[in-house]
Amino acid sequence: MKREIPMIITFVSGMAIIIALFVPHPPFGRVEETFNNWYIIISGFTMILGLNSLLGHNLDKVKRKAEGWPYSLTLILSFFITLIWGIVSTIRTGHIFASTSTFRNYYYTYVFVPLQSTMFALLAFFIASAAYRAFRARTVNATLLLVTASIIMLTQVPKGETVMAPVLGVAALLAVWKLMSEFESAASWTAGLPYLLLSIAIVAVYLPIVEVLRTQTTAVNDWIMNVLQMGAKRGIWLGIALGGIAMGLRIIFGIEKSYLT
Amino acid sequence: MKFFEKLAKIDRRIIFVILAITIISPFLFNLTFKLTPLEESKRAFNFINSLPEGSTVIISIDYDASSMPELQPMLEAVLRHIFSRNLRVILLGHWAAGVPLGQQALEKIASEYGKVYGEDFVVLGYRPGLQAVIINMGKNIHATFDNVDYEGTPLSKLPMMSNIKTYEDVACVFGFEAGNVGEMWIQFANARYGVKVLLGCTGVVAPDLFQYRQSGQLVAIVSGLRGAADYERLAKHEAFASYGMTAQTFAHVLIVAFIIIGNIGYIFTQSKKRRSS
Repeated sequence: MKREIPMIITFVSGMAIIIALFVPHPPFGRVEETFNNWYIIISGFTMILGLNSLLGHNLDKVKRKAEGWPYSLTLILSFFITLIWGIVSTIRTGHIFASTSTFRNYYYTYVFVPLQSTMFALLAFFIASAAYRAFRARTVNATLLLVTASIIMLTQVPKGETVMAPVLGVAALLAVWKLMSEFESAASWTAGLPYLLLSIAIVAVYLPIVEVLRTQTTAVNDWIMNVLQMGAKRGIWLGIALGGIAMGLRIIFGIEKSYLT
Repeated sequence: MKFFEKLAKIDRRIIFVILAITIISPFLFNLTFKLTPLEESKRAFNFINSLPEGSTVIISIDYDASSMPELQPMLEAVLRHIFSRNLRVILLGHWAAGVPLGQQALEKIASEYGKVYGEDFVVLGYRPGLQAVIINMGKNIHATFDNVDYEGTPLSKLPMMSNIKTYEDVACVFGFEAGNVGEMWIQFANARYGVKVLLGCTGVVAPDLFQYRQSGQLVAIVSGLRGAADYERLAKHEAFASYGMTAQTFAHVLIVAFIIIGNIGYIFTQSKKRRSS
């Protein structure tokens, strides 16, 4: 019965919600609202589970003096400072984020927000360093990725179009240099011909492309975002949606039982 | 050739220092560039502009301090526009740690325009449950929030809320997104109840939302710091986003420059290796 009862609850809840989507009239509309209210209450309690797991794991690390235990101790202390300050503020002002709450005006504004912002701001430095190291023209695909990324980065910012010509000029020069080295090292003249033709093509299309990017910057940006990236992304999303529907039906009909373990 | 090898292997600490100087300097000298607003930003601005006076806009705060540099100035610009048009605001959020940011911005901008709590704006706060909250709001906004605002004041005592029961009574939802909550607004509020949805989002979230723009489920996307700067310009009130945009411009150009430098070093080093082998 330990497995059957949760499966029956899952089936009944799932079917009720599906039926309510297509028949939003009583009693289904009311049932859906009630189920959703239960879900809101239950999801509130999941935070207690999360806290239990977080505190349990870090307390254990402190007790065992495991590697990095001072960080765990910092986390536990921060948790209790936040909790106690929050409770005191709530008792004194009626709400934790009331305009006169010291929790909001000091702790949240001058500790929590700057710490969280700083953590995320560090990403900018790692992204810059990673872009420098990872965006190398090792293969044709990598080259396409780095050229597209550079164009998007420049079309997203004002005056980006003004630096587009020199940036693409250097990129074209590098591409021609690499292609001509391939041409030089080719076994025969005919084997190297594609590299030569590609170099000539790059030189020929450079000026028209730069002109389009300079004059139609936002249109180029829109086209890359709405056509190139969207086509690939839509395919991925359709796959995810179909997979989600299939998984949902498997759970509702009791075929997928891994969530019970 | 050692020069090119060095170009291919610049110490990351040097990159960090140069990037820090590049980002900080525009703020020190208050540098701004003239922007041509993107079509998407104009669409959002024009939609808000077209709403009749007294209409209500639901603002959803679905971000926290980590996305604050992009979304907080955007929120302030949108709120300025909303209050200048004498529209009303209901503020709520699905990121518990972010809702107070929205609340602070709302209080700040409302005081600039002399707006009164309960008459011109209301804060409903946070409720866990995301999809369930969005769906239930379509049936009864008051009941979804237990008939009280974030401080426990009964909604029946707030004059603005007396005529607002479901999505049918609001003009649109304007979500500020650092994750996938925006998609939930589209999938549950727009698809089921037909409410108009506009989204302001971080730059990295925007590509996930273009499909909804193309399908017509989303009125407009205001994307990243660029979108925020566009909105400030359209609302004729240049502030943090415009200065931030200059810093972002320099940072983007610097990163592209580093990519080129890295590739010069890489290509010359590779051709040297090939020749020597």
